Amino acid sequence: MIDIKKTYKNYVDGKYVRSESGKTYTKELKNEFYELPLTSRKDIRDTVTSSKSGFNKWNGLTPYTRMQILYRLSEMIEGNKESYIELLISHGMSKQKANKDIELAIENIIWFAGLADKWEQLAGNLNPVSEEYFNISHQNPIGVVFSLSNSRVSLNELLLSLLPPVTIGCSVISYSEESSVLALKFAEDINNSDFPAGSLNILTGKFENILDDVSKHVEINLVALHKEIEKDGLKRIQENASSSVKRVVSLPSISGLSSILPYLETKTVWHPKGT
Amino acid sequence: MGNIKTSDLSMQWSNVLEMVYESRIDSVGLNERVNSLATRSIKKDSKLEALNMIVTMCDLTTLEGEDTEGKISQMVAKAIKPNPLDTSVPSVAAVCVYPSLVAIAKEKVQNSNVKVAAVSSYFPSGQVPMESKLLDTKYAIDSGADEIDIVINRKAFLEGDYRKVYDEIVALKEVCQDVHLKTILEVGDLKTYENIRKASLISLAAGSDFIKTSTGKLSIGSSRQACYVMLKSVLDFESMTGVKAGIKVAGGIRDAKDAIRYLVMINEEMGSDWLNPELFRFGASSLLDDVLKQIKKLKTGAYQAGYYFPRG
Repeated sequence: MIDIKKTYKNYVDGKYVRSESGKTYTKELKNEFYELPLTSRKDIRDTVTSSKSGFNKWNGLTPYTRMQILYRLSEMIEGNKESYIELLISHGMSKQKANKDIELAIENIIWFAGLADKWEQLAGNLNPVSEEYFNISHQNPIGVVFSLSNSRVSLNELLLSLLPPVTIGCSVISYSEESSVLALKFAEDINNSDFPAGSLNILTGKFENILDDVSKHVEINLVALHKEIEKDGLKRIQENASSSVKRVVSLPSISGLSSILPYLETKTVWHPKGT
Repeated sequence: MGNIKTSDLSMQWSNVLEMVYESRIDSVGLNERVNSLATRSIKKDSKLEALNMIVTMCDLTTLEGEDTEGKISQMVAKAIKPNPLDTSVPSVAAVCVYPSLVAIAKEKVQNSNVKVAAVSSYFPSGQVPMESKLLDTKYAIDSGADEIDIVINRKAFLEGDYRKVYDEIVALKEVCQDVHLKTILEVGDLKTYENIRKASLISLAAGSDFIKTSTGKLSIGSSRQACYVMLKSVLDFESMTGVKAGIKVAGGIRDAKDAIRYLVMINEEMGSDWLNPELFRFGASSLLDDVLKQIKKLKTGAYQAGYYFPRG
């Protein structure tokens, strides 16, 4: 049988693309060498453009449709379970743990799919005021989110960095260093789940190369750091982000309702009671 | 910039026809050349200069049924000061509107150097009798239009009635007199490079000051290839008559990078004389937004978001 190797590419705007720079970096897993796209600043620029239109498309869908698309994602992963497990094992995970990781990932997707049409009731509020009007905290998705993945190679961890913003209607640019092979494999299931182009983009590379461009880019509304970065880097990100009033959050990968809170923007609405 | 009167033209219809029938284009060579010109890299100071130049060449356009006085007023304000927070960004060349809105636009531009262009001759289809086209054009001029954008009669052109195409432009030029006449070929309808060349030569011979690629109303707008065919026609026309005509590219040019590629092509093929709003224009509604973003990107180092710039 011919041994055909897969070319790993970034997933941007619903397409598989090589880095515009043509550069790759090598990752070795069990004597297999993976050439992965080394994302450049121009790739970031193109991805943000696509993410911006992806946000409008994804957020424009009804929560019901978003829920179905998320559920389909779990179906796709279920179908490819074995290949995920194999990949996790080649990263050094035990078979049992790998199995558990994929199961947890699928469960989490289903949980978030169910949340898609409920989070507004749960996170929004009718505020107490003692006058003749309603005061409502209306919750909105913040917009384009850049998410730096955790250094632990785990599908569940990767999903927990994506699902909260995606569920509420944000578009996400997910950037992986250590879990790059897994993330690019996962992109294939995103592609099969009917996500609108640009709503979920997967990039790989060295974060240091694009740190400034990401944190300065005015069109990125939130930078979520799911892994530790050194103090100077964090300071640079925060300083750069301040010029565009960008939100920067360092997050553990958590599940549950509180996981969506960092990605919400509150609008307060006043409405007369009309008595 | 010579305003051509038809009577001054040394070209007789028979010469025009001869030229038109001689139109042959090597499309493979043309694509090669156009693509090789697109690989030039323009950076830093040169890029900033190019971007500012693009602003001065923009015809900021709104041609919609929903255009209102308020919308025109907003657009004109943006045309005069594209970025109110950065006064080093120059004004655009003109605003381009439907004839019924010319008077309003004219009132809003006041003493600025922004001109008012009107599309006429029943833009974008041109499918009406000649009397109506003349009336439409006359109305726009009487309302104060500085420039007139007309469409060629594609029906006549595609039926092979070149004489009718020519005569109509001549008649409209007579109405325009000294008002700048831009003739839209609508390259998307013409389909082939030969047709674009033929239509360019007919329009130039009939006295157009500018030839323009597209109305912006078709899915196929301007392309660098179409522009290349047109610029060659303009150069050939210049060598025959000594008249320098201009080119306006419109439709589908949405980003600064693409616009810079046009500038490179114009500079390489026609020379820097044509890098001038009197001889080269961009018809655009969204291009200006990207150019403004790129100018700020160059100055601050941060990629920009559209919502920090004026709408218009």
